[in-house]
Amino acid sequence: MRDRLEELQSQGLAAIQQAEAEEGLRAIEVRLLGRKGEITSVLKSLGTLPAAERPLLGQLANEVKQGLAEALQARRSDLQALAMAAELEADGFDATLPGDPLPGGGVHPVNQVSRDLEDLFQSMGFQIADGPEVELEELNFDALNIPADHPARESHDTIWITPPDQRGAGKQGVVLRTHTSPVQVRALRRFGAPLRVVAPGRVYRQESLDATHEHTFHQMEGLVVDRGVGVPHMLHAMNTLIEGVMGRKLETRLRPGFFPFVEPGFELDARCPFCKSGCGVCKNSTWIELMPGGLVHPNVLRACDVDPEEFSGYAFGLGLSRIVMLRYGIDDIRWLMSGSLSFLRQFHP
Amino acid sequence: MKISLNWLGDFVDLSDHTPQQVADLLSMHTAEVEGVEEYGAELRPLVVGEVVECAPHPAADKLSLTQVDFGAEQTVPVVCGASNVRQGQKIAFAPVGCVLPGGLKIKKAKLRGEASHGMICSGRELELSDDQAGILELACDAEVGRSLAEELGLLDPVLELDNKSLTHRPDLWGHYGFARELAAILGRRLQPLPLLSDYPAAGADPVPIRIEDGTGCSFYAGLRIDLDAPPQASPERIQQRLLATGLRPINDIVDLSNYVMLELGQPTHAFAWPQLAGSCIVVRGAASGEKLTTLDGVERVLDPHDMVIADQQRPVALAGVIGGADSEVGDDTTQLLLESAAFNATSVRRSAHRHGLRSDASARFEKSLDPALADLALRRYCHLLAEIRPQARIVAAPASAGCDEVDLRHIDLDPERCAELLGVGIARDQIGAILQSLGFASEDAGAHLHVRVPSWRASKDVRTAIDLVEEVGRIYGYHKIAEQPLQAPVQAPRADPGRMLERRLVARLHGAHAAYESQGYTFLQHSWAERLGLQGDDFVCVDNPVQDGVDLIRHDPVPTLLEQAVGNLREETSGCLFEIGKGYRPVEQGLPPQRRWLAAVMWRPEGGVEQGPGSLFAAARTVAEDLLRCAGLRRSDPCPGAVDAPWAHPARALTWQDPLALVALLHPRLREELGARRSAIAVVRIDLDELHRLAAAAQPAFRPPSRFPAIKVDVALALPATVPYAEVENALRQAGGRVLEELHMFDLFEGGTLAPGQRSLAFHALLRASDRTLKDKDEQKFLTKVAQAAERLGGGLRS
Ligand SMILES: [Zn+2]
Repeated sequence: MRDRLEELQSQGLAAIQQAEAEEGLRAIEVRLLGRKGEITSVLKSLGTLPAAERPLLGQLANEVKQGLAEALQARRSDLQALAMAAELEADGFDATLPGDPLPGGGVHPVNQVSRDLEDLFQSMGFQIADGPEVELEELNFDALNIPADHPARESHDTIWITPPDQRGAGKQGVVLRTHTSPVQVRALRRFGAPLRVVAPGRVYRQESLDATHEHTFHQMEGLVVDRGVGVPHMLHAMNTLIEGVMGRKLETRLRPGFFPFVEPGFELDARCPFCKSGCGVCKNSTWIELMPGGLVHPNVLRACDVDPEEFSGYAFGLGLSRIVMLRYGIDDIRWLMSGSLSFLRQFHP
Repeated sequence: MKISLNWLGDFVDLSDHTPQQVADLLSMHTAEVEGVEEYGAELRPLVVGEVVECAPHPAADKLSLTQVDFGAEQTVPVVCGASNVRQGQKIAFAPVGCVLPGGLKIKKAKLRGEASHGMICSGRELELSDDQAGILELACDAEVGRSLAEELGLLDPVLELDNKSLTHRPDLWGHYGFARELAAILGRRLQPLPLLSDYPAAGADPVPIRIEDGTGCSFYAGLRIDLDAPPQASPERIQQRLLATGLRPINDIVDLSNYVMLELGQPTHAFAWPQLAGSCIVVRGAASGEKLTTLDGVERVLDPHDMVIADQQRPVALAGVIGGADSEVGDDTTQLLLESAAFNATSVRRSAHRHGLRSDASARFEKSLDPALADLALRRYCHLLAEIRPQARIVAAPASAGCDEVDLRHIDLDPERCAELLGVGIARDQIGAILQSLGFASEDAGAHLHVRVPSWRASKDVRTAIDLVEEVGRIYGYHKIAEQPLQAPVQAPRADPGRMLERRLVARLHGAHAAYESQGYTFLQHSWAERLGLQGDDFVCVDNPVQDGVDLIRHDPVPTLLEQAVGNLREETSGCLFEIGKGYRPVEQGLPPQRRWLAAVMWRPEGGVEQGPGSLFAAARTVAEDLLRCAGLRRSDPCPGAVDAPWAHPARALTWQDPLALVALLHPRLREELGARRSAIAVVRIDLDELHRLAAAAQPAFRPPSRFPAIKVDVALALPATVPYAEVENALRQAGGRVLEELHMFDLFEGGTLAPGQRSLAFHALLRASDRTLKDKDEQKFLTKVAQAAERLGGGLRS
């Protein structure tokens, strides 16, 4: 009987290993371990053995039975895994078929850049300020230390609502603001010093439209007034702004620039990000003029009831339209105000 | 403006700097130099040649056959047409392959059968002079083979500056000002300007000069000069400097005026003295209708605001702008009156603009020149005149009227404040030294520096201590300033709920409604507004529009968005554009009131569902309702019909709390008119100021969800088609009462088994109570009430 058991065990294990499908395994299981299976009948015949042999052989028979059952289970798992693998391999699913159509939609590139910069400056404690685009002559010029006879006020530079014969001292002339700087005055008059604001918005100049000239464009004005503010703080803000807008730090340099509402006034140049030794964008100079700025003129502080002996400040103005054109390589400024879907779609790939 | 480096070299030593280095110094310390070019560079390929043989051309009378030695191994044959060519002459030679300034390329040629390998040039061909008489003759000691440009000293590096970057600096309108800057930047000595030191004594009968308009002209000086001979060509050196800096030489009298102007910035003007009637000068406003023929030959009708220089009878110059033709220095003039004056900047600018005449003189006067320059320019003129015409006679010291003295301005500068603002550790002594290098006088006065402003900086740009800070900073070098973050602690900025709402709306529009944000002009074309039915007199109007007829300021962004949508139609059969923008309404006085708007325009091809779910109108309505909800506004029922929007379809429109929100299809009249016949166009417009005001109050409140199950009930009603949906929904909501949790229409149709004029509306309803499980009888009760409501509306429940 022992021989019989050992024979069954070795034959059974061999058969199990050779089984190629689950049905085969089931047949082997029935043949060996089923109710009428060979192991089962051996177990049944144990009763016919002498009592002295029974326990040993019984134990052996159980071990054989258990061993075969485990082998069956293991082989079944293997076969299932193989079958799954085969099934997965034969799967005809094309995962590369397209998804459902995207609905489209997106924000204007100028507004995108503007909102990104608003967030950046808000994180540095700047509040966002706004002012009317149709603005008082007083705020657009007088309060900004731009003298009454300054050429910038004339009709060939500024778009006026008020006809010439109704302008002048004591009259409330109205213009389309030529810069976002009047918001400096509005914010300072409203909130006083110390103050940190940025003011994005539209501005207007008397220009004939072409690829590089627009009468309507976007600026972002920054203003900080506090005690002990100097040029290094302005430079830090400008550099931060450039990093925010161009996506990386660029080498910059300050040089003189003149604007009546700041003193000293500056132009900030950044290293041309498009070339190493000169290109069309930087007119072969490797520098791009990016941002005017300066220390707020004491006359402007005074016009806003801020004491220039106690407070100082800086202001800068970023040409958003120009920055957007640089950032995306837009070659014609007229696209920005075109409302053309074929243009607007490009900023949402 | 063009600045010659050779010229600067007269006053400050720049020999150890390349032109580009000088340009960079000025850009970093003074004003941006836009470019560096070398005057005369196009003459570089030309060389000094010698005519070694010269014989008549066998086949042409007027031509000569020459052999020219130009330093090459062999002489070359050249056919020359000039009458003044002769053997032994040193000439300007253009070898084969070289290109003349006019663009002519020299090639090997045959002229009447004779070979010609090069060209002997005239001054005119080299654009050096107007002399057409013959070839340019060089000095006999000129070195054969040497570059012509070098031989003639023609090469001159020239810096180009944009005039706009100099408008605030009256001292930088001549070379001497730039020399002063460079001397300060480099810490070098500025050579004094050679001047006539002493005039002859004043004559017995000084020229009578009268200034009637003291604001327009604060000082006027006239200097009588008698020439030994009529005007003649200037010396080469003067002509070349004028050419290098962009002025055409005319004759020595005019050239010297220009030369002095390019040095000092001060324009002068020479009148032909015999032409001045009554031998006197009056500076006055023009009489109405008075005429003056100016040097350019144009007869100009003067404006009473124009300031003129007149003699006893008539205007002889438009002050500070241009001289008159009658008194122009002519070929035979030998008696001059040389004018040098201080004219008011604004008066000159307006005159120049009025007559469309921006001259070199007016461009300078309008910068508020230093009045002290007037006398300086006369003395410089006299000095130069004595150099080139020792025989010319200054008749007497200049006659003058007015005053050329500038109020001496003193400014107290706090050196510590100066260093703090610039953010550099600059010492008091250094500050003083920088100011002195620019011509300021500086002395200690307690904690401050007591600074005197020189006259050439006092006329415009340096007025207060902060102006001195700029002077110190830019000469010290802005590039030495290192960035530094603000020291004050960062405070959270004031919350801006309006802007945050705007951001949420934008996110919904492009994220949920596939809309693209656009930007449209604030200006409206008059004709476009009229086509849309908007009345022109209801707008803020631009006095000087950017383009004829584009003179209205929009009320809201709808008209421009419509224009953009129509522009897109050909390429894009459907789409949605939106804009957040400002609009304005006219007002009697002061600032026109402003409103912020959100407007969207949606379009699709015509056809498809016309009303109800799936239609363009429904899509637009969904946008509006979504945005209102996004602002936290609770459900509010719209009213049908558009108010106050002539572009809107009068019936296919809804308004919410007018003027808060509006949804409308385009007026059918306009679809035809705008060429949008095959498209359906819808407009959404929301008053953002109003929305912000209402949103501020809206605050959602939490209610615990019911733990009890809901019952889904579908009902269909057959009703007369004239009953508006809103009434049906209202009736159903009343029928549902508090247990009606959700209700929405899922089907709408007419025809089929329905009677004509009837339509069927089918709804999903969800009933749920917060305190119990609803039973069958609750559903029955709802259905009964719905049936009653349907009957009241003239129809009934469908089964
Ligand atoms: Zn570049």
